Amino acid sequence: MNGLAVQFAGVRKEYPHFTLDNVNLELPTGSIMGFIGANGAGKSTTLRILMGLVHQDRGAVQVLGFDMPAQQAVAKRDVGFVSEDMRLYGAATLAWHMAFIRSIYPSWDQAYAESLLKRFDLKAEQKLKKVSHGQRVKAALLLVLARRPRLLVLDEPTTGLDPVARHEVLHALMEALADERRTILFSSQNTLDVEQISDQITFIDRGRIIDSADKETFLERWRRLRLDVPPAVALPALPGIVETTSSGRLAVVTMNGYEPAVAAAYHDAGVTVQSVDSMTLEEIFVVNVQNRRERSVA
Amino acid sequence: MNTMIIKQLILKDWYFLRVPIIGYLAAGALSLVLICLGTDAGFFAGLVVLITVLIAVGIHLAMSTVVGERKEQTLPFVMSLPISYMEYTTAKILANLLIFLVPWSAILLAALALFTIGNAGGVIPFTVLLVTELFASYTLLLAVAVVSESQSWSIGAMVFGNLFLQAYFYWITHHPSIVGTMKGHVAIWTSGGITVLITEIAIILLLIGLTFFFQARKTDFI
Repeated sequence: MNGLAVQFAGVRKEYPHFTLDNVNLELPTGSIMGFIGANGAGKSTTLRILMGLVHQDRGAVQVLGFDMPAQQAVAKRDVGFVSEDMRLYGAATLAWHMAFIRSIYPSWDQAYAESLLKRFDLKAEQKLKKVSHGQRVKAALLLVLARRPRLLVLDEPTTGLDPVARHEVLHALMEALADERRTILFSSQNTLDVEQISDQITFIDRGRIIDSADKETFLERWRRLRLDVPPAVALPALPGIVETTSSGRLAVVTMNGYEPAVAAAYHDAGVTVQSVDSMTLEEIFVVNVQNRRERSVA
Repeated sequence: MNTMIIKQLILKDWYFLRVPIIGYLAAGALSLVLICLGTDAGFFAGLVVLITVLIAVGIHLAMSTVVGERKEQTLPFVMSLPISYMEYTTAKILANLLIFLVPWSAILLAALALFTIGNAGGVIPFTVLLVTELFASYTLLLAVAVVSESQSWSIGAMVFGNLFLQAYFYWITHHPSIVGTMKGHVAIWTSGGITVLITEIAIILLLIGLTFFFQARKTDFI
């Protein structure tokens, strides 16, 4: 192994109306990557390729040092996968599911499973067709966490959860992170969830990875500047400007790769910098996607 | 092949189907009671129940363990386990055939025993050929369900299997080398009967082979 839990190199998957193209992704062991994209961006396809459930047309995928999809059976021994569209058997109880998973994975930790049962407020003897969506997601997470996989792949696990269930799920994930050897890849449309637990962020849009970096770098790099531009002054075209909106003398510039020297450059051009504001991950994501889409149309 | 997990997947399907299978066994027993009444009406009523039971078992199995796995969205859960798709296919085929064999062989063995005891051995070749055709019909449904995972295609396979059964039933009951010995006290396997039996078994094996052939070429499993 090369210290990477997941490695995608030039991966392509073509469907009649969608193409996942040239996906390059590296996830170091022990890190938590938030994988953010809109509906239909290619998050689920990417994670399914990672799990060997969909075969890539081109490119190489390695998971925990194993080639996918060829070695998926071995790789999946140490991978826990939960997706928003995954269902457990409604006619069976959670206790049956726990016994089923225990019979397959020698790493099953019964004591941890029982502690998760209490924390998630789940009843082992209840049939799963009678439980809410939130409880189903928590049950699926319990089954995955209690076997202590080295890699957790979670495809929108918090989608459709109420705020309390979401908090519980995120809390359990954060606890799972206490084990520094564990790696998590976590897709979501909810940037707030991703911001809470991730240390790496990747944006995907229309089948392409559009940006990928550690969270601090993302948040440091992006700034929104409010500028007072006198009528006779032209706004200088500085590198890294992604979006500019103007209303009278006021201009708002969104910038990727902000440095303090930018303020000085505006000052030298006769522009007054009124404020330099940090951006939320959601704002960064939206601007990033809109900008790429506009550029691709142009 | 990871035999441990294949075994667990077979046991899983058996767990979910064990209660209905008991019901089908009871219905199968009823069909044999009717056949053994010794009247023509009882014979045909029992035959209809027997055929219906074996068709119903096959439909129930294929629809709940294969098509249902996709429809109920439990396939991602199963495929997240440490198995390859060929191991999943092996588990599905084995689980289905083994579970189907429970009522199928129970009904067949009970029928053979009853016909032998009742001194009506002549009907044994006809019965064996008929239930083997039902097995082949079920294998077709299973193959289509596993490869397509589609309710529509599976219904199509059921309709085809049922139409073929009607034609087969007409043909076999008018085949001199098979019906000619039916009224006898002992089972007589004519060359015509043996050829039909070998053909049925060959079709079953071919359908299973084709299922693995097509599954090995799939690239998307969810």
